[in-house]
Amino acid sequence: MKAFYFITLFCLVLILAASEACGRKDSVTPGNEDGPPEPYNLELPPGIPAPAYDFSKNPLTKQGIALGRHLFYDPKLSRDSSISCGFCHQQFAAFGHYDHALAHGIEGRIGIRTVPTLFNLIWQKEFMWDGGVNNLEIQPLTPITDANEMGEDLVRLIQRLQGDAKYRKMFKAAFGSEEVTSQRLFRALTQFMAIMVSFQSKYDSVMRKAPGVAFTAEEQAGYTIFQQKCAACHKEPFFTDFTYRNNGLPYLPALNDVGRMKITNSTGDYLKFKVPSLRNVLKSSPYMHDGRYFDIYQVFALYDHGIAQSGTLDPLVKNGIRLPEQEQRALYMFLNTLTDPGFINNQSLSEILIE
Amino acid sequence: MTLRNFLLYFPVSFLCLLLLTGETACTKSTAPPPNTASLQLSFSNLVNGQPMVLRTTNYVNAAGETFNITLFKYYVSNFSLTTTSGQEVVLTPEYFLVNEESDSTKVITLQKLPSGTYRSITFLLGVDSARNNSGAQTGALDPVNGMFWTWNSGYVMAKLEGTSPLSTMPANLIEFHIGGFKGANNALRMVQLSFPSPVALGQNGHAAFKISADAYTWFDQPNRISFQQLASCTSPGAQAAAIADNYKSMFTIKAD
Repeated sequence: MKAFYFITLFCLVLILAASEACGRKDSVTPGNEDGPPEPYNLELPPGIPAPAYDFSKNPLTKQGIALGRHLFYDPKLSRDSSISCGFCHQQFAAFGHYDHALAHGIEGRIGIRTVPTLFNLIWQKEFMWDGGVNNLEIQPLTPITDANEMGEDLVRLIQRLQGDAKYRKMFKAAFGSEEVTSQRLFRALTQFMAIMVSFQSKYDSVMRKAPGVAFTAEEQAGYTIFQQKCAACHKEPFFTDFTYRNNGLPYLPALNDVGRMKITNSTGDYLKFKVPSLRNVLKSSPYMHDGRYFDIYQVFALYDHGIAQSGTLDPLVKNGIRLPEQEQRALYMFLNTLTDPGFINNQSLSEILIE
Repeated sequence: MTLRNFLLYFPVSFLCLLLLTGETACTKSTAPPPNTASLQLSFSNLVNGQPMVLRTTNYVNAAGETFNITLFKYYVSNFSLTTTSGQEVVLTPEYFLVNEESDSTKVITLQKLPSGTYRSITFLLGVDSARNNSGAQTGALDPVNGMFWTWNSGYVMAKLEGTSPLSTMPANLIEFHIGGFKGANNALRMVQLSFPSPVALGQNGHAAFKISADAYTWFDQPNRISFQQLASCTSPGAQAAAIADNYKSMFTIKAD
């Protein structure tokens, strides 16, 4: 009787092993070009709200991100092969642009706005300084086709990528076939932008009560001042409340940028621009939508005594924001804690050489 | 098994079997008929009743101004049919971009339609609001078709370009890119066309209709457009909405 049970058990084990092996034959070995793309798990920091971007139709995969990164750093996406996304969006400046007030593109053309920083994009619902773009996927369409930036025609770009054997291979690895479509192009770029997450600054460590990390006395003083005088618009944890406001920045006739009014056709939005995130702020000068301030102290000066009155001026800055010298210094020290060195130096986001 | 047990278990098993197969007096045993009817719509574009010919033919608008057309495209989407008893049958949303330059885009076949007798067809002239927010899309909605604004996300519902000596734009260009899906100046328009006579579509049934789109209506009424005053409209707003109010009556239908 016992022998009977043993034989049955042994046969069952054999059958189980055989079916397991059969299952495994179809599974992917890492790095297999012909297999489906491998999922990528984006670790989100604790206590942060869920992203606004819907990943269900564009889940993160290693191959999707790799393709997106390749596209991001490839100047061949521009009309004369001179400007890539990474040319303007520089990692060491938190993917903003160092030392140029206004974005400049092909043939030395210049736009009227500064390069915005790129991080934590999956939490944003609207993009650009005036919020004109409503989905992260189609954000790249604007700089790629803008005459003053990359100046390329989308049809021509798709054809160029389709004709490139290396891209065909990467599209196949990421999306299952060699067909290059604008949707795949944008989704790959979106995947790369999605992993630009910045929530590991000293400020974050202090907030999470990481052992051995604490604000210095001056940083703490700066944080208190920040909460009293800046946080209403530059709200934690994103350091922006994603609204559009007129912060008293004087209008420049030469640029004639009316801000959000161009998008909404509402005079109530005249001279209103998106509140930018202050994360990595000391790494990403110049400041304001037109990059007119190279030094953060010029920003303090604007709020302290430089507010330009206008009909749409935000009530919060109506009387300016007094910032005595010592407070400015403390505030500077606090803003320094918003720098995320892990993000700035993250090798997975760095520029790759495109042959 | 004892007789008592058998008398207990047999009806229980029989009931379970009934439930499993759904065969009771209350349930129907026939599945609903599959949707197999189809409808073909052939679009042709006109200007004031005459066939539209791009570039080489001149036309005159309601304000008496000469013009020609170099480009004419519009989205039709979100079709539904209304039965003779007034019931609206909403079809699976589909999106088509009719392009005067491309004959293959002018024949639309709506498939997998439910059987019924229909008195009218309704569709959206443009792309619905949800799709304007849905990121990168394919097919007729692919931005490669040149019908999607980059700087202010949203579809151009209908586009007409050409020239007119009365236009003060460079090279006498006239350009009307009509879009906007939000608020008071929403340029989306529903179009309802009554079939010449009720259409009975049975299983595998098929019917065909010709739909004409007359570009003359764009500049006619209720908002008369003069190219001398307005030769370019390329962003959402009151002007775009006014032209949409004009062109919503550009379609007529007849049997094919």
